[in-house]
Amino acid sequence: MTADVHAERAATSRRPGLAALRGRNNEGVLAGVILLLLLVMLVVEPSALTWGFAGDIIRSGLVTLALALGLLLIIISGGMDVSFTAIAVFSGYATVRLMTDLGIDGRVWPFLLAAAIGCALGSLNAVLVARYRMETLIASLGTQVIIRGFLLAFVGSTYLATLPPQLDSVGTTTIFRLGSSPVNIVVVPVALACVALALILRRTMFGRGVYAVGGDKESARRVGFHVARVQTGIYLLAGLFAGFAGMVHVVLSRHASPFDLVGMELNVIAAVVIGGALDRGGRGSVHGTVLGVLLVSLVQNSLVRLGISSYWHVLVIGLVILVGVAIQARSNARGAKRPRILEEVTP
Amino acid sequence: MNARRRAWLTATTAATALALTACGTADSGTTAPGANDDGGGSDSGDRTIVNVVKLAGGDWFNRMEVGNQEYAQEHSIRVDQTAGDDASEEKQIAVLNDLIAQRPAALTVVPNSPESLEAVLKRARDTGIVVITHEAPGITNADANLEAFVNEDYGAHQMDLLAECLGNEGSYAHVVGSLSVASHNMWAAGALERAGEEYPDITRVADPISSEESQETAYNRTRELLATYPDIRGFLGSASTDVAGIGRALEEAGRQDDTCVVGTSTPAIAGNLLESGAVDVITAWDPALAGQAMLAAAELLLAGEELTDGTDLGIPGYESLGQDPDVPNSFFGNAWIDMTNENKDDYPF
Repeated sequence: MTADVHAERAATSRRPGLAALRGRNNEGVLAGVILLLLLVMLVVEPSALTWGFAGDIIRSGLVTLALALGLLLIIISGGMDVSFTAIAVFSGYATVRLMTDLGIDGRVWPFLLAAAIGCALGSLNAVLVARYRMETLIASLGTQVIIRGFLLAFVGSTYLATLPPQLDSVGTTTIFRLGSSPVNIVVVPVALACVALALILRRTMFGRGVYAVGGDKESARRVGFHVARVQTGIYLLAGLFAGFAGMVHVVLSRHASPFDLVGMELNVIAAVVIGGALDRGGRGSVHGTVLGVLLVSLVQNSLVRLGISSYWHVLVIGLVILVGVAIQARSNARGAKRPRILEEVTP
Repeated sequence: MNARRRAWLTATTAATALALTACGTADSGTTAPGANDDGGGSDSGDRTIVNVVKLAGGDWFNRMEVGNQEYAQEHSIRVDQTAGDDASEEKQIAVLNDLIAQRPAALTVVPNSPESLEAVLKRARDTGIVVITHEAPGITNADANLEAFVNEDYGAHQMDLLAECLGNEGSYAHVVGSLSVASHNMWAAGALERAGEEYPDITRVADPISSEESQETAYNRTRELLATYPDIRGFLGSASTDVAGIGRALEEAGRQDDTCVVGTSTPAIAGNLLESGAVDVITAWDPALAGQAMLAAAELLLAGEELTDGTDLGIPGYESLGQDPDVPNSFFGNAWIDMTNENKDDYPF
């Protein structure tokens, strides 16, 4: 086993430039694909590549990125989650509903409250997965239905077209303009959330635990991680990020509807998987996910600009996602011999 | 531990609520034997009709329920509205299966997917329940399918409104909820045809664009359209949130004054955009009236009468039904409504 790993390392170190470019989770390849797409656009429709285009991509990718962060944690730990959209819409809608009913207003605390609600809802998943050792996908399928059902039955099912004025003002606050597109202030908290998650994953023992549990639960247990405790942390934190994402969605779209978000899970899952997190677990990074989201929203927001008939949109988006996932799956097959946890060990 | 208790609490609450509703409906079945036995006969005061809709809650079907209860009071019948907790055909089939056992006199159904309900609706009709559907073109196992209007005519009407706003010239884009929603695409085709016949200076910039029934997507597509076709002046929307997404994008781009937005929506969703002028006219059919028309049609059939071309259901917009010459169980009214900033308060849904 050890000999194998050393052989593999030797093989990679023989062409260090290439390996470094490729990145640990194929981030380099992904960046290459994105550049290639931009190049194609430059040839086909040069007038489409404007600063406004960049602004639109940022705007449309923000919610996906915010949703992707919590999911990334879960996928690295070898799990799968489909309840995060329900948690997000519940947290965002319930917060606005509460503010409207009580007549209170604010700019920052609604985000924190939504995150707290998300954290509480994430505890449902935590209990099912960490305590009852339920299959993560099955558990989250169940919680998705329960959370959404509870939202519609007890919190509300009406479309709130107007947000409280202070909260609404966040949605119209621009930090700078990219061409014709305003860049919303919400970019800042989302970027901070990305940095925070990256630090948690790379610099804390909990983060190591997330990768270890995803690589192999039994090994993680033997090296001293309390697996159930790590999983509880993962699902609480994922719920927190989902709740925050729900508020980002509400603020950016300037309305609250209980029927939003649920249904876009696959888009987010695709972005995270393309970004190098594999459903087998143990791999993935925040910057990979950012690139994955970038690729997905780049494709989704360029087809009208390229003059491609809308009848082709779904096909093209599907193809690009397939290529992205295939690249990752191929490298995964190659990397199957190298346990993730050993890559960091200096010989 | 707390979390665990909360999970159990949620589950038990849900279970209790379910059990209670189930009991309620079952009771009504036993206390109203008249409704069970003579499906084709007398106007028993205890007749029960069940309205099965796509999704519980939501302004649209809440408004339909308002219409239901108005009708129930006037005609002293009992009307219950029910649905699954998400808009899936499986949930709807399960709900219908449970209802068949309770033998209501009639079912008024708004299917999530007409094809998938054929089998269960056939079973309902075989047991003598009258089945009326709405928004289910081409359904075969219904006594009648009632549409608020002919889809192409409605699309043409939207084009008339857009043309009036545009001053009969300019380019426009048509946003549909999905390229696979039949009605939306018929509206788009009807609008395009009307433009071709009557308004030679109005052109469509591209094929209908899908919003995936999401306001956010409608917003993003509008931004793309504005960047790609800077002189675009008209937008038509189909899903109820389309015009809201379009209107927001136009507001942010400062284009709300030199553009025209017309589309299917409700005042609850698009009301403040009508006020700001980002959206100009919204059109719809009133779900309350559609619900009442279904009930009226069911009562007519239960009284042993027939629906024909020209039948008057006594509901505004459904005073002279049209019958599809090719599909004999398909009837349509003339029941679209136009809502602007001035009259939007008359339509609380």
